[in-house]
Formats: sequence, structure tokens, C-alpha cells
Amino acid sequence: MSELGSLDRPGTPDSPGAWDENAEDWLMGAVETEETERTEEAEGTARAAGAAETTASAAASAEVRDTPTRARSAAPTTTRTARRGTADPVKALMHRHRELCERAVDPLEIAAGLEAYGVTDRTAARFRHRDVFSLAEEMYARVSRDTETAPRPAPPTASGVRADWVLLSLLPGALCAATVTGLNLTQGRVRLAVATLGALAVTLAVRAALGRGPLSPRSHPAPPGSYASHTPTTTRAWTYWLLAYALLGDGLLTLGLTGGLDSITTAARDLSTAPVLALTLACAPAAWCAHLFTGRARRKLTASRGLADFTAAVKPLLLGTFALFLCTLTALVAACGTVLHEPAAYTTTVTLGALLLLARLLTAHGFTHAPAVLLGAAAATEAAALATAFASRLPGCAFLAVPVDTVVAAWGPAAVSAVACGGAALLLLLHATRTLTRASAHATPGEPG
Amino acid sequence: MLVRIGLLTEGGYPYVSGDARLWCDRLVRGLGGHEFDIYALSRSERQEDEGWIELPPQVSRVRTAPLWTAEDDGVAYGRRARRRFAECFGELAAALCTGPDTGNAPDGPDASTTEADRFGNALYGLAELARDEGGLVGALRSEAAVSALERACRAPGALGAAREARVPELLTVAAQLERALRPLSLDWYEDDGLGSVDLCHAAAGGPAALPGLLARHFSGVPLLVTEYGVPLRAHYLASGADDSAPAVRALLAAFHGGLASEVYRRATLVTHGNTHTRRWQERCGADREKLRTVYPGMDASHFAEVGESPGTADPDTLIWVGRIEPAKDLVSLLHAFAEIRKEQPKTRLRVIGAATGAESEAYLGHCRALAAQLFPDEAEGIHAVGDNPVSFEEIGGPDAPTLAEAYAAGGIVVLSSVVEGFPISLVEAMFCGRATVSTDVGAVVEIVGGTGLVVPPRNPKALAEACVALLQDPERRERLGAAARARALELFTVEQNIAAFHGIYLEVVSRSPVDKVVLDGTGEPLPFAVPAEAHVAGRWTRGGIGVVARGGPSWATGRASAPVQATPVPAGEGAR
Repeated sequence: MSELGSLDRPGTPDSPGAWDENAEDWLMGAVETEETERTEEAEGTARAAGAAETTASAAASAEVRDTPTRARSAAPTTTRTARRGTADPVKALMHRHRELCERAVDPLEIAAGLEAYGVTDRTAARFRHRDVFSLAEEMYARVSRDTETAPRPAPPTASGVRADWVLLSLLPGALCAATVTGLNLTQGRVRLAVATLGALAVTLAVRAALGRGPLSPRSHPAPPGSYASHTPTTTRAWTYWLLAYALLGDGLLTLGLTGGLDSITTAARDLSTAPVLALTLACAPAAWCAHLFTGRARRKLTASRGLADFTAAVKPLLLGTFALFLCTLTALVAACGTVLHEPAAYTTTVTLGALLLLARLLTAHGFTHAPAVLLGAAAATEAAALATAFASRLPGCAFLAVPVDTVVAAWGPAAVSAVACGGAALLLLLHATRTLTRASAHATPGEPG
Repeated sequence: MLVRIGLLTEGGYPYVSGDARLWCDRLVRGLGGHEFDIYALSRSERQEDEGWIELPPQVSRVRTAPLWTAEDDGVAYGRRARRRFAECFGELAAALCTGPDTGNAPDGPDASTTEADRFGNALYGLAELARDEGGLVGALRSEAAVSALERACRAPGALGAAREARVPELLTVAAQLERALRPLSLDWYEDDGLGSVDLCHAAAGGPAALPGLLARHFSGVPLLVTEYGVPLRAHYLASGADDSAPAVRALLAAFHGGLASEVYRRATLVTHGNTHTRRWQERCGADREKLRTVYPGMDASHFAEVGESPGTADPDTLIWVGRIEPAKDLVSLLHAFAEIRKEQPKTRLRVIGAATGAESEAYLGHCRALAAQLFPDEAEGIHAVGDNPVSFEEIGGPDAPTLAEAYAAGGIVVLSSVVEGFPISLVEAMFCGRATVSTDVGAVVEIVGGTGLVVPPRNPKALAEACVALLQDPERRERLGAAARARALELFTVEQNIAAFHGIYLEVVSRSPVDKVVLDGTGEPLPFAVPAEAHVAGRWTRGGIGVVARGGPSWATGRASAPVQATPVPAGEGAR
């Protein structure tokens, strides 16, 4: 039906002279076979011809005739439409689609690209090929693929320090400091109101601080499915309990073991505010540490060749970040103790801080189960200590208080929470060194989910 | 005969913004005698929000699932399930990393068969795991999956590109595989789901056919795949556009290639819309005996009036209709027109179509400028106001209010594209009974057959010569136009398409005997519970019959197959 189709069919040179024996194969149509193993010599010649062609195609056709291959000089003497034809038409085609050829991961990709450009089987016939697929196969086999120079995707730029989460992470500390000041300055009902309002404000501020920035689950946009997009309620409840215990627990425990119930009000009056202030102030360094950890881990991710390399590189990073946070927290505890004229409760505060940071890091990276369990365990231990202390005062139940009494007698009331939180923190740290050092915990954002 | 068809779509019917929804809608409406269950995978949240199109009564159920998000069901695998997952996924990864079997099919059929077996077995292994235990989404995202990928990439004999894979690439591949394998976690494959249909018809290859593959694996439901495009090719073109690392592209290409060949291997029949698609299907391992060509159908009624009265045309006008974009090569058409006017000075060219997008707008501007340069305005006499022999118009303008009238205005319809798939404008021109001159691209030769002239692309001189030949020979023009209309009515009508699928459904069902065993109240097999009449259109069987898996006792399968009663096909001849 294509009456005029033959007009465009460029006649390949009838008897082209080849420039060497290997090249003759191409000219005589051996290209159609899947003979992809070319000798180095032939490749070299082809490359030279290609280089000549690069200049030739840019230059006038008169210059084409000057190139010193006989095959080339034969080409213009054939039909009109083959005026730009060369002895090796595939070479020209490859030059035109060199980007496609270099990028292609298999012949079908070249075939798809060629078809999108308009190459059909009838065009392929011009290159002495049965169809586009076999043409693409030849192109794929002939392209010099230098995998070493393949451009590596640039490492993702670490998400910069954003003002919003920096300010939000400072907010709980500031509010808590204000509340503590208020508590120290007021008395009676006003003090109660200040305490309630302060607690509420600090809670909201902490939630806001954890909802954004590096500590939020959303900062690791995440495979939908494997990541919880919110903190589980149980984790949150246990956290509140642990903080409340830090505030009141030691006093209550002492009361339970020694004093009468009437002195509960005095315990409530003598809130140990220093640990809570230190912990709220530690929100900022915690956010910084998480940011540091995430950013460094991403960089290691792009740099490492294998999963084992990555794990080996991230483990010290995790431990270093954790140690950095502990140092900062210790300093904060010391400072708060000094300012508030309270004894600095290092062990309880630092262990609790460590536990909370690890739980948060794990939650933020999508591992919600272990933190919930271990926070619950710590809280349950503390609750049990309190409960046994008070229950021991019932008639005939004095034996219940023996374990707690022994611990308190040996190391003081702070030891209970220190043991509970410290043990949980240690277990979480072990868990974190296994889970957070996996590459799958650091899937980069922006991936299709 | 009543056939219950499970229509599988991905990002298509019945969503308002779905691909190929028009075709599916016509198919479902056209086959009122059958029953359709639609299983649709949605591609984005937006698509889901936009809702469905109106469904005809023969659609008895619609089940949808999102592909764009996946809920982790929170199942943590025990040791045995973990080992099973690691085995299956490791096998899948190994199949991907040892190279696409489609690429070297000719030189090693045995090797490629084992390769495909490996891929398929791994796929079904994962599907069985998801069915037994759940929790596949979480597992595919876990470290076990990533490390299985890494092991496969580092194994001897892995693809060169895969060997280069680094940690971020492994993570990306794992994420993409998780996305691609989401249909495995669906609960569609139970006996009350896809297990209960007589045949699965996947409206596209690739992800849409994946549920069909699993239904075939679990319940032995025959699978029919219709491809009007090639998903694998689309994947290559899409992956060429983004700049992901070679390792990612290589592994994903291997996955999509493997999926395509598995679909072709397992499908009972595979249909395509043109030879181009057919070639890709053959290339990816489809057996020639399974392949059927079903041309896409188009509504011919709009063009009936124009087609019946060929005399209305202005014989000296060339018409080009389509969406204006660089691939249409209007520049070449304008140059050809310049040649035509040397021979036939009275000729006019009307370019009818709109440009959408910045690039197309710029191209249209360029074409207008070129037209103004090549052809000065001309007038009837010395006192008349002249205009350009080339006019650029849009459908709905005063001179071309409808598409049919646009075609009707000219004597010859020209197509000058350099790249085409299945050019609809050409078919419409044929419906209108117009002689066509087109470039030899895409499916043009297949569409035109012998009823129009075909010239090579990017060859204005040949295009001009063909046009001049037709302009000078009105009789030939008329003859070609009539032949074109007859050909189009025979091959490209909606009725033709529906009738073809009706026949294919019956063929597929007749090849796979229904082996369902019906149980009575006590769980004993009930003989003669599904007589042949059960497949007669209309419902008469009582509900609540428990149907168990196929392949029951041999005495239950030996029954005479249901008589094939051809349902009257609406307007079967359709040729008027």
C-alpha cells in the first residue's frame, strides 16, 4: 500500500569497501545477528569512526567526503536520501540516541525509547534488522558502558535546622521554668492553680515539641504501614506516670514507709521540681541529638556500600549521640539543682531522661512496640513499689514492704525509680543498637510510599 | 450462557478519572447477558475521592483496594513464617538479579523458562504467605527483605547494574517492590471473591493482572488479559524520565518484565489492540497461540451522516485533525503543502485541533509563523480581502462546529505524525469516508490497510506527491473513501469490539470446565447440584449454596458441559 515508500528507503552501499576485516562484518549485514562480542580492535576502529562522525555530522556534508574511509566516500554516490548515510548507520543512530543507550539497563529500554522517538520495524529494516528489538539489542551490545563513571545520585541534602522545631523544643523548658518560679512565689490556692495551669501548659508544649521536628514520627516519612504516624496512647500514658513519679514519687515512697497518711499534703507541697525542670529543658538537646543522629545516619546511608557497613558505621553514631545527650542532661540536672537549691537527683533524672529519649527515638523511627512495653514495665515497677509500701501498713501485711524497704534503706528512695528506669533504659539501648542501626529504619523521605 | 466475569482494573474503571473506563463501560453495558464483578485497584487518593461512574445493573459487585497506600496489619511473623518469607523473597530477588529473562529469550528458552518458573514460584509463595499469615506489607519493608535483596545483588552471576547497588538503592527497590506487591495482601482470593467467578478479565497487563494471576493460582480461575498499551513499555518510558540509579531501574525493569512474562505464560488468552502491542507481547514470552487481536472500538454513529454523503466535501481542501504537539510534525505537513501548491495552487489546508501545555502552545505558534512565512495571504480579486490558505482552527469554532463536520469539510484527511500509537483521527476520517494520506508510523498501516495512501514519516516530498495524486484523481479519492469507510465499519466499531470479547469469553469458559463441587447441609457432595441450566441467563438457583474449590471428585467433573447458548449480540452486524 505504500506506493511511495520506496522513495525513502536508503539503499545501503552496494559494495562498500571496508576499512578492516572486522568492519566488513558490519557492512555485510552481520550486525543482525546477536554477535555482540566484538574484538577490541574493532571497537577501537568503531570508536574512531564515531569520533569522526561526530565532527562530520556537525560539519557540512562536503567534509564528510573528506574523511579517510572508503566506505564513507562510497555512501554519497548511492541514492539521494542516503546522502547523510554512512557505512555504519547504526553508529549514527547510536550517536543520536547516545544518552538513551548509555542510560539503558537492558535492550528493551532502548527499544521503548526508540519507539517513542518514532522508530518502527520498517525503520529498523533500514538498519538491516528484523525489528526494533534486534536493533535495540545491537545498540545495547555496542554501547560502551562505563559503569564506574555512572553518575551517583547526589546525597540528599540533610533537612536543615528549622526555626519552628527549634523554638518548639525550647518551649517546654521555658514554660516549666516559669511554672516553677510561680510555685516558689505563691502560696495556697493560687499555688494550686499555678501548678495545674503550669502542668497543663507544659504538657501541651511537650506534645507540640514532639509533634514536629526530628522527634516526631512524621520526620521519617515512612513506608505507610510499617510506621505508626502517631504515638501509641499507652506509651503516652506511661510517660505521664513516670514524670508524675519523678515529681512526687520519692516523697510518697518515704511517706509510705515511714510517716502517716496525714503528711501527704506536705509531700505535695514539697514537689521535687528540679528533675522535671531538667527533663523539660532537655527537650531541646534531645531534639538536637535526634536531628544529629538522623542527619548523620542518612549521610552514612548514601556513603555505605552494604548493609553491614552501614550498621557498623551507625552503631558508634547512635552510642555517641546517646552519650552526648546524657552529658547534656547531667549538666542540666546539676544546673537546675543549683538554681532551685534542691539536691541534684542525678541517678533518677538521668536514667529517666535516657529512657524517654530512647523510647522517643524508637517511636519516631517506627518501632512503637518495645518502647511501650518497657515504659510500661518501668512504670509498673514504680507503681508496685508505692503500692507495697502503702499496703504494708495494713494489719498483717508488713512483709510486703520488705524488698522496697531494703532497697530504700540501702540506697535511698531514689534507688527505686533509678533501678526501674535504668533497667528499662538499658534494655531499650540494647534494642536500639539492633533496630536503629538497620538501614530499613532510615528509609529516606521522598520515596514513593 | 451466563458467564460471571471478574473484571480487574488498575487505576481505571469504575473511577471517574480512570484509564480506559470508556471501553470498560461499553463492554459491561454491551454484554448485558453476563454478570460482572469489578475488582478495582485505585491509583491515588484523588482518584478515589472523585468517585465512580454510574454502573449498569449487570455489575453485581464492586470491590476496590488502594495501591497508593497500605495498612500494616501489625502481624509480626514467628520464626517459621520469617523463614518462609526469607526463602520466597530471596528467591524473588535472585530471579530479579540474574537478569530479565525477556531480554535473552531467543538464545536460551530453557534458561528463561526456569527463570520464569523461579519468579512465578516466588510470587505465589509470597501470596500464600500473605494469605496464611498476613503481615506481608511489614515484612516487605523489613530488614530481612533489604538484606535478601543485598545478598541477591552480590551473588555471583548477578546483573552488572545490580552489583553496583548501594544501600539507598536497595531501600528504594525494596520500597517499590512492596508497592508493586500490595495486591498480594488483598483478601480477594477467597471462594466468595475471585474464586467464585468463571473467568478473570484483566483490563490491562501489569499490576491489574496480578490479582488475576493469584486467582488462577488459588482457585484455578482462567485469566484473560487485554492490553491496549504495553505496561512494560510504559514502565521503561517512565523510568527513563526520572533519574533513579541504574541499579534501581535494572531491578525494577526485571520485576516488571518478569511479571509481564508470568502473566502471559499463565493467561489463557491475551488480546491486544494492534500489532505493535502484539510484538511486545511476543517479545515478553507470550505464546502466539494465545494471542488475539481485538481492535479498539469507536462510536461510529456521529460520523454516519457525513460518511453516507461524501458529496459535501470541498475537493480542494486538505484536513488535519488532532491534538497539536511536536510529535505530529506539522512542520513537515506545511512543507509538503508548499509542494502541493506548486502543482495545485487552489488547494487549502485546514489544521483543526487544540494545543494544550506550554510546549504544544509554543509549537503551534511556531507552525503559525511558518505558515505565514511560506504562504502569503491571497484574495479572489484585486478588491477582495485575502486570507491565508492555511488556517488553524479549533473544534467548536464557526467553521468546524463538530468533529464530524470538521472531517466533512475536506476531500482528503492528512496525518503527518512521526510518532503515533493507534491514531484515532485516522479511524474517524475513515468512518467519514474520506480518503487519507498518512505517514507510516505506529498502527497506521494496520488501520488503513489498502484504503489510503501511506508515505514514510519526515518526508514532505512524498507526502506532497501522494496528496497531489489524490487531488488530481477525484474518482480514486472517492473509491478509497468508500473502501475506508467499509473497512472502518468492519473493524473499528464498538459492536465489533464487544462481539469479539463475547466470543472470547465463551471460548475461555468452554476451555475450562467448571469443577465446583456443591455441598449439602451435612457437608457431603451434592450430585447434580449444578446442572447445565445454571449457566442459562437469568437466576433460578437458590442462594446460599456453598461452593468449594475446584477439582472435586472425578465423578463430579465428568458432567456434560453446559450448552452454549449464544446470547443475542446487540447490533451484531453494525455495518450500516
